[in-house]
Amino acid sequence: MPHLAVNDVRAKYGSLEVLKGITFSIEKGEIAALVGPSGSGKSTVLRALMGLTPITGGAVDIAGETMNYSSAKEVRAARDRMAVVFQQYNLFQNMTVMQNLTLAPLKIKKWDKSEVMSEARRLLGLVGLSDKAEAYSDQLSGGQQQRVALARALALKPQILLLDEVTSALDPELVNEVLDAIRKLADEGMTMVIVSHEMAFVREVADKVVFMDAGQIIEAGTPAELFDTPKTDRARDFFSKILRH
Amino acid sequence: MDYNFQFGVVWDNFPALLEGAWLTFQLGCIAFGGGALIGLICAALKTYGPWAIRFLVDSYVVFITNTPALIQIYFLYFGLPEVGLRWSNEACLLIGLTLNAGAYLTLILRAGFLSVRITEIEAGQTLGMSLIQQVRYIIIPHIAKSIYPALANFFIVVLVMGTSVGALIGVDELTGQAINLSSVNYRWLEYFTVVAGMYVVLTFVASIGLALLGRWAFRVKARIF
Repeated sequence: MPHLAVNDVRAKYGSLEVLKGITFSIEKGEIAALVGPSGSGKSTVLRALMGLTPITGGAVDIAGETMNYSSAKEVRAARDRMAVVFQQYNLFQNMTVMQNLTLAPLKIKKWDKSEVMSEARRLLGLVGLSDKAEAYSDQLSGGQQQRVALARALALKPQILLLDEVTSALDPELVNEVLDAIRKLADEGMTMVIVSHEMAFVREVADKVVFMDAGQIIEAGTPAELFDTPKTDRARDFFSKILRH
Repeated sequence: MDYNFQFGVVWDNFPALLEGAWLTFQLGCIAFGGGALIGLICAALKTYGPWAIRFLVDSYVVFITNTPALIQIYFLYFGLPEVGLRWSNEACLLIGLTLNAGAYLTLILRAGFLSVRITEIEAGQTLGMSLIQQVRYIIIPHIAKSIYPALANFFIVVLVMGTSVGALIGVDELTGQAINLSSVNYRWLEYFTVVAGMYVVLTFVASIGLALLGRWAFRVKARIF
């Protein structure tokens, strides 16, 4: 059984249908990459999975449990199982790095304090920021902030991690430090859905690539299948433009 | 100008003035605290509530901010007893000042609500926060930091200008005490010179306290001078 199965998920902004029936699935430990042009609905898929954009049809299976986000309870259940990292980090500005990491585990999950603190320190080590625990977000570079956001998401021990263009807002020099942190997670067997424009990275880490355009999945397959031998004209056109350089 | 200053009588009655200053401080704190609570609720309702609720909040704010505080307190103290609602002068002053501060603080806090970034709220939602938890952990700290200077200034307004209205309905706060004592021994100039100085000291101490509180609690780099 797949760890995450998205079945015919639909969403609208007003009268505009932005997701026109999205279906894909991944196994535990796999990484799926959503790629496609701007406005194709990649980020909206992640927002829908987290219950930030309401879905108007379809359902999602997470670790064997089916949900369609129709009640606050189901939205909470989805947020219990998944965590998301946004393009703009979205750290809490008025808190230190450590407070950002431990707020939700301590105050919302009410987990044991000493365990939360030691896990937070382990995660800061994982993303290479052990020395920044007491810094505020405005004292960090973009790449550092994004790695804190990554650690914050992991502090909730999600079963699935969603990454929404996590390197798009960063200086080119800072991109690699974030990608390195994601590689480590992939090595640890974290199940992830990533939206990314870093095609070389996608080819390296993804087990499955889902190519989207105008709210639909045009083609899905292994990275090699999509990048080297795309079957559809739209995919061939897209990848020929972005893989040229 | 051959006025003969006689401060001796003021010093003899200084403990009474200190009592008045202490009452002024208490009234200012309670009215500001109550007003902040009203303002927080009203600003939240004005930001997130349905239009009927927003209309009610708007009516309250417009009614209060467009009438003098003195009229509001006279309404409570002299007006309401006519229909059987009789409160003590201190209660009328506190209720009036609190409602008055609440309206102004609604406006100040509303600006804070508007400045909260939607992305931080969404981050909180995805971490599993309920609405109350978002307010507690994201919105209030953000508002407190971004509008702290405006809040601190308004506290001084309530403390000095607000409470002194009490003298007109017989509350023995600092201004009231000064009037009481002056009308016994007619040393108006001496009393009000000293009282003015006491107000300056009171606001100065309050400003330093607020600046330190801001630095400690919200990392606001407030200047004391």
